[in-house]
Amino acid sequence: MQYRQVKVLGGKGEDPDRFRAALRGIAVDDRGQIYAAGDSEIKVFDAAGACTLRWRTAKPPISVAVAPDGSVYAGETGQIEIFDATGKRIDVWRDEKLLGLVTAICVTSDSVLAGDAADRAIHRFDRHGKFLNTIGKDNPVQGLLTCNGVVNFAVDARGVIHVANPGKHRVEQYTPDGRLLGHIGRFDGVDPAGFTGCCNPTNVAVGDCLYTAEKAFPRVKAYDFSGQLLAVIAEDAFEANCRNMSIAVDAKRRVYAVDTVKLAIFVFEEVAG
Amino acid sequence: MSEDITRRALLGNVARGTVLLTLAGGAGFLIRKANGQVVWQVDAARCLNSRLGAVNVAACNLCTTECVVPLSAVRAVNEFSKCGRCNICPAYFNITSAVDAHGLPSEKLCPRDAIIRKPIGKVDPEDPANNFYEYVIDEEKCDGCGKCVMQCKEPLGLGSITLRIRYDKCVNCNRCAISGACPQSALVQLPVEQALRPQVLKWPGE
Repeated sequence: MQYRQVKVLGGKGEDPDRFRAALRGIAVDDRGQIYAAGDSEIKVFDAAGACTLRWRTAKPPISVAVAPDGSVYAGETGQIEIFDATGKRIDVWRDEKLLGLVTAICVTSDSVLAGDAADRAIHRFDRHGKFLNTIGKDNPVQGLLTCNGVVNFAVDARGVIHVANPGKHRVEQYTPDGRLLGHIGRFDGVDPAGFTGCCNPTNVAVGDCLYTAEKAFPRVKAYDFSGQLLAVIAEDAFEANCRNMSIAVDAKRRVYAVDTVKLAIFVFEEVAG
Repeated sequence: MSEDITRRALLGNVARGTVLLTLAGGAGFLIRKANGQVVWQVDAARCLNSRLGAVNVAACNLCTTECVVPLSAVRAVNEFSKCGRCNICPAYFNITSAVDAHGLPSEKLCPRDAIIRKPIGKVDPEDPANNFYEYVIDEEKCDGCGKCVMQCKEPLGLGSITLRIRYDKCVNCNRCAISGACPQSALVQLPVEQALRPQVLKWPGE
């Protein structure tokens, strides 16, 4: 499998389609629209890369997710803001304990999962905001070792939650009720099939396969669900000081990755053949 | 608050105290005898080894080679409150060395073996990846070469290790020999109280 870079969105700047100081999280919806959490707003880019909509959030957004019904969830410190597809705020869930630092969100048909870096765990709620259970925290082997300051995860089509556990150089799989199913990944400082550094991978995305992002040196890779490396999607594209690079994948298997220094979203697609 | 975080917070407080006591122990006489005077210290924000943003460069060892004290008065100090207690610490291991049977790098980074690694808290003997580890600088061995500092720096590590002048070793030259050699002008004179404070590193533009 090989990938090529096909597009760059955003970048540092004052224009509406650019980011002044921060780009922290991205998500992609079924239509290929890209949602970016940066500075103090959510920006929406269409599949062609044009910024079509933007709105302010109450606090700087750290993460973003799109629900199957098109509503948009922004993870912040101490809260999640919920917007309709036009950017009108429809709800806010505040909880200093369960939503201390929301660095990732996934919305499924029946629940909302919030990665809380302050608690080094994922907190699961129903669609009305009622707390259901915690994932990762009660892992009998010390839970999520997220010394990089971010809890990041993705949910696959079967409902399995794939969680980056960078201190263990693994991606762990959990059931929605928090049962650890297994893990893939190992440390290796040379072999690209492994994860290098003190703590990698930092971010994950899931589609037909599993995608990971690493820091120092930043790269994005694809694995099958057994942990076999399928491709190094990109490793030279990013600024060397990038860390905690949010990644996403769309229905056409295009992979989106944030350069946290250049404040840009790099888009990669599979090369046919 | 979780048991883990409570333990971590406790360890952090103990560690902070240890670092400060270590630095302050040597400096105690300075505070008593030279309160109000200035002393030399490494400015971590200027030091090539710890300055954020400088990547893909070799570690600078001028603090080792230029100090007039036989085993340099500059030592690596690990501020435990910032340390991730990682299984694989890039400051401890040579992370590009071959992986051994336990899944760990087979070589250490420090040429003087001056970092001690031990598991802390609840220990899983079966799988080292499941444990937290404490990394302590052996000050009798450390010569301030800066290799661990360079590897601990963000984004590879968390930047908990920096070079500091130890005042029980430093002879407080009027003109510090390292300061004359340092191309980054990272050796600075500070009031004693300021020289003992933990340093805050910032990214370029912050």
